[in-house]
Amino acid sequence: MYQAFVGLEIHVQLLTKSKVFCGCRAAFGDEPNTNVCPVCMGYPGVLPTLNRQAIVQAYLVARALDCELSESAVFERKNYFYPDLPKNYQISQLGSPVGRNGRVDLDLGGSRRRVPIREVHLEEDAGKMIHAGDVSLLDYNRAGTPLLEIVTEPVLERGEEAELFLQYFRRMVRYLGVCDGNMEEGSLRCDANVSVNRPGKGLGSKVEIKNMNSSRFVKKALAFEIARQSGLLDRGAPVAQETRLWNENRDLTEAMRSKEEADDYRYFPEPDLPPFKPDAAFLLDVEKGLVELPSARRERLVAEYGLGPDQVDFIIDEKSRADFFERTVALGADPLAAASWLGSDVKRLLNREGVELAESPLTPERLAGLLVLLASGRIHGKIAKQVLEVLFAEGKDPETIIRERAWEQLIDAGAIAKLVDEAIDANEKAAAQIRAGDEKPVGFLVGEIMKATSGRAEPQLVRSVLKERLAKSR
Amino acid sequence: MELKELYVTASLAQLDLSDEEAETLSALVGQMVEYFSTMREIDVENLEPTTHALLKTNRVREDAVVESAAADTLVGNAPESEGRFIVIPNVL
Repeated sequence: MYQAFVGLEIHVQLLTKSKVFCGCRAAFGDEPNTNVCPVCMGYPGVLPTLNRQAIVQAYLVARALDCELSESAVFERKNYFYPDLPKNYQISQLGSPVGRNGRVDLDLGGSRRRVPIREVHLEEDAGKMIHAGDVSLLDYNRAGTPLLEIVTEPVLERGEEAELFLQYFRRMVRYLGVCDGNMEEGSLRCDANVSVNRPGKGLGSKVEIKNMNSSRFVKKALAFEIARQSGLLDRGAPVAQETRLWNENRDLTEAMRSKEEADDYRYFPEPDLPPFKPDAAFLLDVEKGLVELPSARRERLVAEYGLGPDQVDFIIDEKSRADFFERTVALGADPLAAASWLGSDVKRLLNREGVELAESPLTPERLAGLLVLLASGRIHGKIAKQVLEVLFAEGKDPETIIRERAWEQLIDAGAIAKLVDEAIDANEKAAAQIRAGDEKPVGFLVGEIMKATSGRAEPQLVRSVLKERLAKSR
Repeated sequence: MELKELYVTASLAQLDLSDEEAETLSALVGQMVEYFSTMREIDVENLEPTTHALLKTNRVREDAVVESAAADTLVGNAPESEGRFIVIPNVL
């Protein structure tokens, strides 16, 4: 048996309006090379200026990861030549990043574990290249957009743990509102370093893995890589220190380039950008952005509302969903009913319509309204489901829907009594049987009344009034 | 400076050196490296590194978009383009 050490390098595209060091729009999907200016295109004589929102978000993530926050965040030039980088250097951080020595405590497959965070640093993203035949096409719209890099210590041991960590992390940045977390589109990217060794022998040769654009691929790629390195060690073969790419079509990692000569980026302090020293007002803004994080919210929702594990996982997966749930409960809905409806019928309709909860016609007010109608017995379960369907189709309040369609349950004792009397008159034979002590036709008469009211009569009430009527005249 | 080191440095800087250039430069660069080793002897214990000349205040801007008026010119400056893409020989 071997011991594996996995560390993750996660890049998140921050959700700012403009780029990190110039005013160009930070948007995706625009016409190529429209959001470019002399600053992000690396023209001489320009002066980059730090985007305040980007540095707020950077400190916010560092804070959420319990990092020691830098009192002086220094930007440095990382020099390398590649066409996606118009300046021939990337503005990044090395010696004094935004945050260091953080940690995340989370459940990794049943056991509570601590994942130390080595550092959080702010940098600029590179442009995009499309390779087509004998040319490469360059689009610099992304060059200079803010990118945050988070590096964990190599303490993860299996692909599953890396997947769980990444899911946790993705949820966290979405809660903080600093990144949309879309791995397929590359707004959240993950590279990993993996080494395998005999237990107690420390780290082995480090292999970097790139190109894993979903948390599932991270799991698969790491499982493959750990097995590959273990196989090499079994045969006594050396593990080359190299960078490998995950090939999702072939389910394996392939060598990209060997790292015999470690990259030499010749970092030096960026002379155009003074170090950033957070003051009290800035740190207050960071604190304001610190929302209740998913794990804390999970614990609170379980303690406060008694939600089950699956229910709470679904509710807290999205901050907007958890907010929706709590708002619904605050409006008078039963917490368990609200969680159960959100996790079943509402989820089914959202999937069918292909919309997000926040964009759907369902609001906390409407869901609470529906659940209160149900709890007070004004409608029954089957009607409630129909009301939800109509609500999605027509965007109306539950109260309006049941009024327009006359779906409210008949619970008025007088009205029920009248219906019962009519049914007795129309079915004298059955009534006589019941009077004689034979209970069998009770169900038949209840059924007749339900039919006559299109299912709106409250069946328990009908039954009890019916029995009362026929018992009295015996 | 060792020639081998010089060639590594030149290749990182994307410079193609002829043998004569390398010969001349190795002596000159060697001198520079020596200056650095002289500087290294200075005792900087307990000194904050001076990374910048002006350290008065943070210089930040609000997160506001400034439409780039120069975008078309910048694309036009490229030796070759296709639509709005800048075209270079395939680097993959």
